Amino acid sequence: MAHMMRNMRVPPNSASLAEAKHKTLEFFRMCCRSIPEIMEIYNLYDVVSPSQLRSAVAAEVRKNSNLTNPKVIDMLLFKGMEELKNCVDHSKQRHHLVGKYVVGNQGLVQDLGHKDQGSSNFLKNFYSGNYF
Amino acid sequence: MGLGLLASRALRSSRILRSPSNGGPTYFLRTIVSTPELNNADAAAAVQGNPPPPPDLPKRNPVGGARVHFPNPDDAIEVFVDGYPVKIPKGMTVLQACEIAGVDIPRFCYHNRLSIAGNCRMCLVEVEKSPKPVASCAMPALPGMKIKTDTPIAKKAREGVMEFLLMNHPLDCPICDQGGECDLQDQSMAFGSDRGRFTEMKRSVVDKNLGPLVKTVMTRCIQCTRCVRFASEVAGVEDLGMLGRGSGEEIGTYVEKLMTSELSGNVIDICPVGALTSKPFAFKARNWELKGTESIDVTDAVGSNIRIDSRGPEVMRVVPRLNEDINEEWISDKTRFFYDGLKRQRLNDPMIRGADGRFKAVSWRDALAIVAEVMHQIKPEEIVGVAGKLSDAESMMALKDLLNKMGSNNIFCEGNGMHPNADLRSGYIMNTSISGLEKADAFLLVGTQPRVEAAMVNARIHKTVKATHAKVGYVGPAADFNYDHQHLGTGPQTLVEIAEGRHPFSSALKNAKNPVIIVGAGVFDREDKDAVFAAVDTIAKNNNVVRPDWNGLNVLLLNAAQAAALDLGLVPESDKCIDSAKFVYLMGADDVNLDKLPDDAFVVYQGHHGDRGVYRANVILPASAFTEKEGTYENTEGCAQITLPAVPTVGDARDDWKIIRALSEVAGVRLPYDSLGAIRSRIRTVAPNLLEVDERQPATFSTSLRPEVSQKVSSTPFTPAVENFYMTDAITRASKIMAQCSALLKK
Ligand code: SF4
Ligand code: FES
Repeated sequence: MAHMMRNMRVPPNSASLAEAKHKTLEFFRMCCRSIPEIMEIYNLYDVVSPSQLRSAVAAEVRKNSNLTNPKVIDMLLFKGMEELKNCVDHSKQRHHLVGKYVVGNQGLVQDLGHKDQGSSNFLKNFYSGNYF
Repeated sequence: MGLGLLASRALRSSRILRSPSNGGPTYFLRTIVSTPELNNADAAAAVQGNPPPPPDLPKRNPVGGARVHFPNPDDAIEVFVDGYPVKIPKGMTVLQACEIAGVDIPRFCYHNRLSIAGNCRMCLVEVEKSPKPVASCAMPALPGMKIKTDTPIAKKAREGVMEFLLMNHPLDCPICDQGGECDLQDQSMAFGSDRGRFTEMKRSVVDKNLGPLVKTVMTRCIQCTRCVRFASEVAGVEDLGMLGRGSGEEIGTYVEKLMTSELSGNVIDICPVGALTSKPFAFKARNWELKGTESIDVTDAVGSNIRIDSRGPEVMRVVPRLNEDINEEWISDKTRFFYDGLKRQRLNDPMIRGADGRFKAVSWRDALAIVAEVMHQIKPEEIVGVAGKLSDAESMMALKDLLNKMGSNNIFCEGNGMHPNADLRSGYIMNTSISGLEKADAFLLVGTQPRVEAAMVNARIHKTVKATHAKVGYVGPAADFNYDHQHLGTGPQTLVEIAEGRHPFSSALKNAKNPVIIVGAGVFDREDKDAVFAAVDTIAKNNNVVRPDWNGLNVLLLNAAQAAALDLGLVPESDKCIDSAKFVYLMGADDVNLDKLPDDAFVVYQGHHGDRGVYRANVILPASAFTEKEGTYENTEGCAQITLPAVPTVGDARDDWKIIRALSEVAGVRLPYDSLGAIRSRIRTVAPNLLEVDERQPATFSTSLRPEVSQKVSSTPFTPAVENFYMTDAITRASKIMAQCSALLKK
């Protein structure tokens, strides 16, 4: 896997949306295939399971599901590929992955939300700090 | 250095070359006077002597925008300052006349609140037809006087005085704490010469130990004697004095002695040089690094106006702000030096006491949820709220609203006792007003020791006694006064005697034009409070203390929160509410007596310091101190003032009213305000006077409407309300400086 990505280059532009979609699926599959290796490299067994990682990647992809411009999709694919390469090449450290894909974007202090349901803006602000 | 010297030589020689005056190269040794035309002051004056063109002068405004008060319009006289005519009341000095004309005269010894010494000579001005320059601060202005403040003679005189002063003043500005706010520094830049002629050794003076607050570097002293005059005239202690004569003159305490005044810190401000500086602030910061926030002092009920100087998140010092009606320009030592208590013992996280009796830090969410849950399991009448002595009006309003929504009406403010008389505002504020005390000519102090309870009020009484020899009668335990007084008795029995006219002091009250009675707030806690007040009312009635043009019946409160609490109606429903309480909400209340509280009661402590209230608490909610929040405080004379945040809050603390507002929502009884402005509109419906900021709101009705009381006074003598002047609340108790003071200075 790694050797294949080592000589990564900018792929030719997608001619149509269908082609871009195909490429995206291909990218997702590539990610899924690298997940076992990533688990190994970064020793993530005690914090996450492969399926959780897969859904984290899927969520990242779905975040952009509304895009229709093949050029934009190509660009995002390239970025994704770069990220994947960084992971596989061990260019990152464990906490990078834990922070981004295991804990998620909300940060370590998880605001589970359901407790604050129905409370006023005042209370929400109150919990987050004195100055508002 | 070398380069500079070379450069100055080069300059000098080029000037000689260019000077066309007297052909041959003479030795031109530059004299000390830097401005050449001053060399020949008389000649220059002669040139100026021609009658100046009639004043086509721009309108000048008095220094600092001061207003002139003419006690008697007929006594106005006209003088000319630099050709500009000004009208002044008779009896003003030349210096004051110049100030009204908008000319600031340099000075060191003159201070407008102290007597005139006239010993620094910095204020020399030229007066037409007087042979020598005159010291303007000591010279009364006479009609038609022609004063000249920027003639060469005046300038030369100043330069000369400056040179004499600097002769013995050390050149240690870089390590001097006064640097940047030093009168000598500023004036030597403005009026001094650029070099001195004295090559001898400078004199040096042994530093004196004035106690834990004032640092002395006596070599820097310029013998202006402001401190000596302050100590004897304002502070009323004859601790400081002048020793020796001529160049051996020193300021000192005669014998090794600490300065035992509660106003001693003010000598730091009035000392024009760095001879007296603040010991706790020594070498901590430079004054230009500090951010000043205009705020209010809350350590007593006077509400002195202060400026909080902070650097980043730290309060570095507290200095007074001018307010003629309250503190003039002084503050007490407690106000000035308690600020290090703001850094110690702070509560910074919400905490819950676990089963093992230890506190565990939790999130706000959990803390509020627990409090709300417990609050709902308890019968409404068993819920009690206590506001602390440092609470602001907004949070007291919120707390009262919260408790009322929960169905309880048991809320009070510590220090007000269990049966406060909150109906008549005149019954708990200082009706005469602090500045009004100056008009009084007889005082009757009932169970109050103003020196420790409200040092600034005491300073006013001292000022009055000093100016008019007003008689002071005192009823209460043996106490320390810094003015003449008669100790009439220790118990309320004496009051009854005065009321019935059997006491010798009653004649003094009777003969007084403006008698003043001051009752201490310590009386609020007495069983026979109503009888004592009834006796006081009788005295007032018999001696014409309350008239349409004069209200001399006063209550001197102890704490910053008291007046606002009574205005807002923080009155408990039953006086036994603590004994049967199951849920107690302490909002910064540390001095409330919780001995009778049942053991199974749940106590919430909301506050900023881990003080007495925390020992019994089950939940701690950290709040911000008064330096960190905006809040309204009403002082003892009924003047509402606002504190402003100077520094950020500590840790995870929140403002008091926000905590209560959040708790109300968690408990399901949401209070209808989300901002300070909204709370203030709520206050408007209860006590609109609290919104009239910086303006004293006198009480509308006088006390004569009070119902009759049948209670008899007991024979228990009055007790001191404040045991230790330096430690009265959570912040001052946490302060190290205040602890040192109480160890060294408490008598
Ligand atoms: S110590 Fe300061 S205030 Fe006192 S005489 Fe010296 S210079 Fe003046
Ligand atoms: S200010 Fe006038 S002599 Fe000092």
